[in-house]
Amino acid sequence: MIEVNHLRKEFELTKTQRKELDTKDRIAVAVDDISFTCQPGRIFSLLGPNGAGKTTTMRMLSTLFKPTSGDIRIQGVDAVKNPEEARRLIGFLTGSTGLYARLTPNELIRYFANLYGVSKADYEPRKKYLFDLLNMNEFQNKRIGKLSTGMKQKVSICRTMIHDPQVVIFDEPTSGLDVITAENIIHLIRDCKNQGKTVIFSSHIMSEVDLLCDDLAIVHQGKIAYQGTMESFRENMQTPNLTAEFIRIVHENTKS
Amino acid sequence: MIATIFKKELLDTLRDRRTLITMIFIPVLIFPFIMTIFMKVSESFSKEAAEKPLNIGIIAPEKHADFVQSFNAAPKTLGKNILVPIQDTLKMQELIRQDSLQFGIFLAPDFEQKLRAKTPAEVYIFHNVTEIGMKDRAEAYMDYLSRLAEQKRYSELKIQASELEPYALDYRNVASDKETIGKLIGGFLPYLFIIFGFIGCMYPAIDLFTGEKERGTLETLLTTPVSRWQILVGKMGVVVLSGIMAATFTLIGIFLSIEVFQLVKDPRLLEVIHQILTLKFILLLYLLLIPMITFFAGIMIPIAVNAKSFKEAQSVITPLNMVVILPAMVGFFPGVELNAITACIPVVNVVLSTKELIAGTLDIGLLFLSFGTMVLLAVLMVTLSYKRFDKERNLVA
Repeated sequence: MIEVNHLRKEFELTKTQRKELDTKDRIAVAVDDISFTCQPGRIFSLLGPNGAGKTTTMRMLSTLFKPTSGDIRIQGVDAVKNPEEARRLIGFLTGSTGLYARLTPNELIRYFANLYGVSKADYEPRKKYLFDLLNMNEFQNKRIGKLSTGMKQKVSICRTMIHDPQVVIFDEPTSGLDVITAENIIHLIRDCKNQGKTVIFSSHIMSEVDLLCDDLAIVHQGKIAYQGTMESFRENMQTPNLTAEFIRIVHENTKS
Repeated sequence: MIATIFKKELLDTLRDRRTLITMIFIPVLIFPFIMTIFMKVSESFSKEAAEKPLNIGIIAPEKHADFVQSFNAAPKTLGKNILVPIQDTLKMQELIRQDSLQFGIFLAPDFEQKLRAKTPAEVYIFHNVTEIGMKDRAEAYMDYLSRLAEQKRYSELKIQASELEPYALDYRNVASDKETIGKLIGGFLPYLFIIFGFIGCMYPAIDLFTGEKERGTLETLLTTPVSRWQILVGKMGVVVLSGIMAATFTLIGIFLSIEVFQLVKDPRLLEVIHQILTLKFILLLYLLLIPMITFFAGIMIPIAVNAKSFKEAQSVITPLNMVVILPAMVGFFPGVELNAITACIPVVNVVLSTKELIAGTLDIGLLFLSFGTMVLLAVLMVTLSYKRFDKERNLVA
């Protein structure tokens, strides 16, 4: 379970950034008082236009960024106070995830299993399960740099799941991927739900959200503009389709 | 965890072609290459200069036939010569500049008169210093001619040459060959170690920090349950090791030049080199190199962490080479000694300590002062690296 309470993130702007943004403010607020809960066995989607604060929120959940204020609890662990303990419980995947091109999938998966402290006894069956599931056996000893985008994405998925995390965070996981590769990710997200894991994913593609999620929050300008179940979202729509409804909510909550 | 990160980064680094070139191939080959080129070029120049028949211009009245004939009686060791009578000094200078003449001799009009009066007779020798070796050959000829004239004058005066030498001067060098060679060329070795130690760190530092940030792998690594300082230490260890390996391969290159390719021919020099390259020397050298290379890594990592792209990091770190080269060149200057002040100046202290180490005159107190200074600076730079690495804005592209 992920519990987020009154999360806020401020960034100090450098001189160059102030010039670029044409502002005199020394602080930029990326996330402003966000609260939500993601339940195990359900898929929670963080939806929002570019620059809404989705990635910053995801980076705080994965403990890459420290919140300016607010709490994050991952499976009951305080992720602000005990980030390393919280990270042990998380699998994190983004659409722009990089892989070590000079390593083979075998070497890379072994490396991440070691970093997550996966025991030798657990490692071999877990690796076999994932390699079989993702059809990775054929290219397990080839250098990652020589693999196709789809193969690389499979390696990324395997890397995310090797320690069997209870919480999986996907930050725009299909961004920049072709349809077939994106389909692998969609399968993975569904599998995670079926296994009772807590899943959160951020996206700006309404069709993906419609296909997968149980709960959603629309983030805009760092604040939550809408929060509820997918079911209630569909029931209370004031426009003919999901995308139009998403745009309506965003416009309604845009600061002048 | 540090060991896991270190092992993976080392494997990754050793598979990077650019790193292998700067860490292994260039350091191993540079010394044999420089030595071979230097030996071949100097050998061919001195051989050519010694064997080339000389066209010597001469401006002298006919009555100086004795002087002119002495050339024909010159020993074979001076090489063949052809005397070319010239009318005036302007023409002679022009022909020397064109290399039609290798040098020219102008005897003053009162040459004969002064010889007879037993006073010094002026002889003007024109030469072109840019023609390598020609001044030496002109001097060899003039020494020979002067000696002939001296002998003639001694016999005319009916005295022995030794009668004009009241002192029999005998200079004795108290420095050992090792010390002499160490002081003269000892600056060159640390220069090579420092330069290659620095270059060896460069690519891994950029690749393991800026490169990872650019490729998006750093973000993934930071979401694993490993603390940032462990990641930094693991990566930094590989950067330092790469620098040390580059310095080691330079040492291997020197060893190959001497023992395998046998590029050092002079037995006296060879014996001195064997005296220098002992296990004790190598261990003390590493004692200085390790903190210095850690210091280099500590300079590069904050830059690499701050940089937004590989190109940006490269454009900042590459000019730093010059900042390292300048103090490393201090070793070439005679008279700059290791003392309590120079032992506290980074890089300079390592160069001078190594130079003294080669000469066998190293003061152990100053060695530890140099070592302590470098360790202190290395610790400071590691702390700075951690501070930069711990900043959120430096971690994502």
